[in-house]
Amino acid sequence: MKPRSFDRFKTLGFVYLILGLFAITTIAPFLWMFFASFKSLPDVDKSSLLPPTWHAKNYAEVFHQIPFGMYYLNSFLVSAWVTFLTVLTSAMAAFAFARMHWKGRDAVFMMYLATMMIPGVVTMIPNYAIVVRLHLLDSYTGLIVPAAFSAFGTFLLRQFMIGIPKALDEAAFLDGAGPWTVFWDVIMPISKPGLAALAILTFLGNYGSFYWPMISIKTDSLRTLPIGMMYFDSNYGRATNLIMAAGMMSLIPPLLLFMIGQKQLLRGIQMGAVKG
Amino acid sequence: MLGALLLLSVVAWYFQPPTTVAGKTILIRVSDNNPLRQAQVDLFNKLNPTLQMELDPSDNGVDKVIVQSMGGVGPDLFDSFSPLQLSAYVQSDIAMDMTHELKKRGIDITKDCFKGMMSTCIYQGRVYGVPTNIAADGIWFHRDLLRAAGIPDHKGPWTWAEFIPIAQKLTKRDANGKPLCYGFYFDWWNFPHFLKGFGAHIYSPDGTKCVLDSPESIAAVQLMHDLVYKYKVSSSPVEEASMSTAGGFGSGSVSVFAEKHAATALGGRWWLAQLRDYKGLETGVMESPYGTVRDFHAYGRCTLVNKEGHNIQDAIKGLLYMAGPEYNNLVNDQADGICAFIKYTKSKQFLFNPKYPKETDNAIWLDIAAHSSGDETSPFISGQVVNDMITEQLDLVKADQKSPLDAMHDVAAEVNQQIQKNLQEDPALMDKYKAATRP
Amino acid sequence: MRTRAAKLAPLGFLAPNLLGFLVFTAWPVVYSLIASFSNWNLQKTVSSRFVGVQNYAEIFGDSKFWLSFVNTAYLMLGIPVSIALSLWVAILLNRKMPGNATLKALLFLPSVTSGVAIMILWKALYNPDFGPINSAIEGIFHWFGLNTHGPQWLLSTQNPLSLDVEKVGLAHKQFGVGARDALNIMGIWGAIGGTNMLLYLAGLTNVPEELLEAAQLDGAGKMALFWRITWPQLAPTTFFIVIMSIIGGLQGGFETAKVMTNGGPAGTTTTMAFYIYKKAFEEYRIGYASAVSWILFAFVLGFTLLNWKFGNRGENLA
Repeated sequence: MKPRSFDRFKTLGFVYLILGLFAITTIAPFLWMFFASFKSLPDVDKSSLLPPTWHAKNYAEVFHQIPFGMYYLNSFLVSAWVTFLTVLTSAMAAFAFARMHWKGRDAVFMMYLATMMIPGVVTMIPNYAIVVRLHLLDSYTGLIVPAAFSAFGTFLLRQFMIGIPKALDEAAFLDGAGPWTVFWDVIMPISKPGLAALAILTFLGNYGSFYWPMISIKTDSLRTLPIGMMYFDSNYGRATNLIMAAGMMSLIPPLLLFMIGQKQLLRGIQMGAVKG
Repeated sequence: MLGALLLLSVVAWYFQPPTTVAGKTILIRVSDNNPLRQAQVDLFNKLNPTLQMELDPSDNGVDKVIVQSMGGVGPDLFDSFSPLQLSAYVQSDIAMDMTHELKKRGIDITKDCFKGMMSTCIYQGRVYGVPTNIAADGIWFHRDLLRAAGIPDHKGPWTWAEFIPIAQKLTKRDANGKPLCYGFYFDWWNFPHFLKGFGAHIYSPDGTKCVLDSPESIAAVQLMHDLVYKYKVSSSPVEEASMSTAGGFGSGSVSVFAEKHAATALGGRWWLAQLRDYKGLETGVMESPYGTVRDFHAYGRCTLVNKEGHNIQDAIKGLLYMAGPEYNNLVNDQADGICAFIKYTKSKQFLFNPKYPKETDNAIWLDIAAHSSGDETSPFISGQVVNDMITEQLDLVKADQKSPLDAMHDVAAEVNQQIQKNLQEDPALMDKYKAATRP
Repeated sequence: MRTRAAKLAPLGFLAPNLLGFLVFTAWPVVYSLIASFSNWNLQKTVSSRFVGVQNYAEIFGDSKFWLSFVNTAYLMLGIPVSIALSLWVAILLNRKMPGNATLKALLFLPSVTSGVAIMILWKALYNPDFGPINSAIEGIFHWFGLNTHGPQWLLSTQNPLSLDVEKVGLAHKQFGVGARDALNIMGIWGAIGGTNMLLYLAGLTNVPEELLEAAQLDGAGKMALFWRITWPQLAPTTFFIVIMSIIGGLQGGFETAKVMTNGGPAGTTTTMAFYIYKKAFEEYRIGYASAVSWILFAFVLGFTLLNWKFGNRGENLA
């Protein structure tokens, strides 16, 4: 029998090989994007990957042509609020669906699921009319509030919370803890991986959201990045180099959030919580 | 966490400019947002100190204005990009009838503008807005490539019979037959250009019937097909696939041409907006060959007024601006197509712009525009639907999977079937149809 | 004995989400249901009225709808593959090893990279004449002494199932590889390191290490460990991923179709979602588009209930 460490070494080698090969393909468009952001527009079409001459001024040009900083702040602010509210309200609803027993629970849950099955195109007009009615149009609140109550998030966290051993909250209930204590002190800490995954996905989804902000925002200073960047992509051609420069800058927040959030997505991270 | 969010919100609010500038009325205009459009809006604001026009970007579709208007908060002004869109805006009762308002102010679109733009701003005899530019395509060519191939300078239009051998001479392929440079490059969505050159129509004059199965339209599509597969001077879809990586609406062909992957190409004056960025090009323009009729496809934008707008009087000022000298000269300067008002194309400044001394072909563009006509529409079917049906069939022709004859027969049958279906659903439409078909 | 307060507790937890949900999600959905029984078409010339099930009846004879249905179903063939690969990658990543975080971030990159950049690159890869994919395929053919051309990818209406273009059915000349296969491959590639990988990574943290260790001591092999312990523990996550993938798949293809192919060539990448968009905002038939959406709803609901029934054994999920 071979020593265990050698086995482990072999397994790791295999893992690195497979994931490494795949990572080469996933990093390729990113590299293309990075280099294109330093090219002059005519050079973007040329087949060389590296810029023949480096145009760092593309980045300054982005700020010069559009109020990029404002759009950046808007995108970040809106996505951060939506993420915060979605994670909080979804976790609470998921707790009610996954860890509590009440009449009509499954029917209400099915209703949540069902609404996700209707394409957004046909709910756009009534949705818009409601936002107008509530005087939320053309404001931060109009971008944040309609997106903050997600059936998707509730479903996701319900599925996660269902996987948590029943014994945990039963023990807490027996100790005389109220539902809020069980939710906040027992279930939430264990659900961190699910919360992290939902936070990353929600942030990303809203950060890139195009259709709703395009239709509902009129004021320039409230525009988000995808809307603002339309300026570089019009009937008169596409400033691919500037789109890439703006894209390079705008992917920093979601990537950072991913780097922070992924720490929660590691095996063994919550063993302490379960044991303790 | 919550604290950080609140803090950030305060910062964002702090940076928000005041929503109302003292003494200024805000005019919202939905249009495409790009450097050219922004400059046009800036000029308006400079000329009208009490008004503040603001661009609200759309992606060229009608959905933004329609959804906003259904919610009762439509823009003051908005741009329509084709007769198809105009009919949608009129039928959904969003566009305001401007016939009297414009006449009152001495603007007669039917006389002042190129006739190619009529269908973009006039629907069933009523004027709804002001055309803001016009484009009609000619043939761009690289002077140096023509010289190198020993082709003498040519001012007047060639016939297709004369042009095709020249395009063949200009086509360069490597030993394996892979293309290096096309003799003549065109986009398939430009099919109306070919139809018009053969005198082909989409609908019968009363709009009750699709006549795309006429010998004229088949001849036009046959020519498009043959340019690719018989004469091999244009790109097949396979070859076209990634000739260019940039893009945007139709502008992929601009870079194919600018990169000299094509010696000549079918395109409009608006290509200049991009071509000016390329250094060292020696380009020229000539009129496109045509089949039997000297008629070219006109396209362009038209600005409309929202019927439910809160500020119609100021919106009309916006229209007047777009009918005035400052705006139209700016459009010509920017090469945002050509301005739609004929009188502003007569100036020396336009024909020989000292800023762009190499651009000596503006007279040719004018001549092309003067011989252009716009898209046809039918009251009995959505133009967008017909466009989709044509595109689907042309895709098959383009890939050499279907003959032009079969494709055009099928598309005519499909459109006519849809017209009949529409009539069944709408009694008012049926009455109109009966009135139109009554002998 | 449950007190009144305890009975109301679930409502307390549900309320914040439910309130927003009812206003911003449920009501518009109900609205679209009502609209689906009307001839609402945005035109003032035709007054809106209820037309009963007329829209639904029309759908059954609408060949374009069924073509888009076939396209959608075809484009969903990649989903099981991408789910399986995401799970595999998540399991590979679910271990302590140097560079774990970096690898995760690299695999996640397609989710944050500019869509334009990804599109440009894939279009170049799929180029029939110059693209590296066809160079490789033609190279392999050449090795065997065959001088064949590679597929035309995004430009072709062909597919391995020989589905016809203009009607629902089969046609010999459509046998090959084309645009839909190209989009499927691209979709799988982009999805492996995306949402599903994240969800599986989160789900894997719920697999108790003690169970794994105990089974390992019993001498269970790796595959046995996976099927006996990991897979059942992941059931709620898999349920979520399958349902969301079906929803996403049936409503999907909209962005890709608009950007990569505009629904072509010859309509072969026009999915149901794109078809609904066209009905609503090109023909302005909101009523009809709503009816199509509710047909779509019926399909998704059917799949979900099947899943619920068969994927839901034990009290774990219900």
